[in-house]
Amino acid sequence: MNLTIFDQFLSPQILGLPLMTLAIILSSMVWPSQNNRWLNNRLSTLQSWFISTITKQLMMPINKPGHQWSTILMSLIILLLTINLLGLLPYTFTPTTQLSMNMALAIPLWLATVLTGLRNQTTKSLGHLLPEGTPAPLIPTLIIIETISLLIRPLALGVRLTANLTAGHLLIQLISTTIIILLPTAPMLSMLTSIILLLLTLLELAVALIQAYVFVLLLSLYLQENV
Amino acid sequence: MAGHDSGTQHTFTGIQRYFNSYTITGRRNCVLATYASITMIILYFKLRPKKQTPALTEK
Repeated sequence: MNLTIFDQFLSPQILGLPLMTLAIILSSMVWPSQNNRWLNNRLSTLQSWFISTITKQLMMPINKPGHQWSTILMSLIILLLTINLLGLLPYTFTPTTQLSMNMALAIPLWLATVLTGLRNQTTKSLGHLLPEGTPAPLIPTLIIIETISLLIRPLALGVRLTANLTAGHLLIQLISTTIIILLPTAPMLSMLTSIILLLLTLLELAVALIQAYVFVLLLSLYLQENV
Repeated sequence: MAGHDSGTQHTFTGIQRYFNSYTITGRRNCVLATYASITMIILYFKLRPKKQTPALTEK
């Protein structure tokens, strides 16, 4: 069977049964579960330290009512980090390359921040749609522009994650195909291309971490405006 | 952010008391008025009676 370069992004299935749910759940199972020991082993201590450091860093700018969101935001960042990093292994499927999954994460969470703002501080939320000190003739135009920028936020969140990961995976596959093809005919060029592949893999490692962080950071910023 | 409400420094009279871009309530009212106007325009074009062209008869 001939594979195209986009076949790596096909949603996995076995005998017609979709495996997408399994792909997402199994990614989170690499993390050890918390136990009630007073002194944990090194791995659990490291995990706890890591999660509490990120929680403090992300939740510090948000006021107390917004701290209710820490569980869901931390779960989200851990899930995205794990999915993105595991996707860099060869022959693995990355669920975050699917726009459907990223939109399913972005739209409800963004909508929740907007509805929270409209419910708890209606005047302030609506007032933020018009920048302070706008000259009178520009008011309607700016309100429309700000509304469009508000509505485009979930789209940007989902597409950013999808595009970054898809592009990275595609580049890795293209360059590694080039290396294999060039190996018999131009081995020196193939070796130089493999250096590029190494640098690209390091870049994709950084992108995987950064994109997960940016997704959750932007959500926390939207929450900060509304809570 | 430099977007704090400095509405206490301005004294507005008339319609500017309710619709201005300095106080938070003024900004809110401008936003609501804009949304209401857009809704009215859309409703007008949707609900206006369509012109009925008379049926053509063959001669």
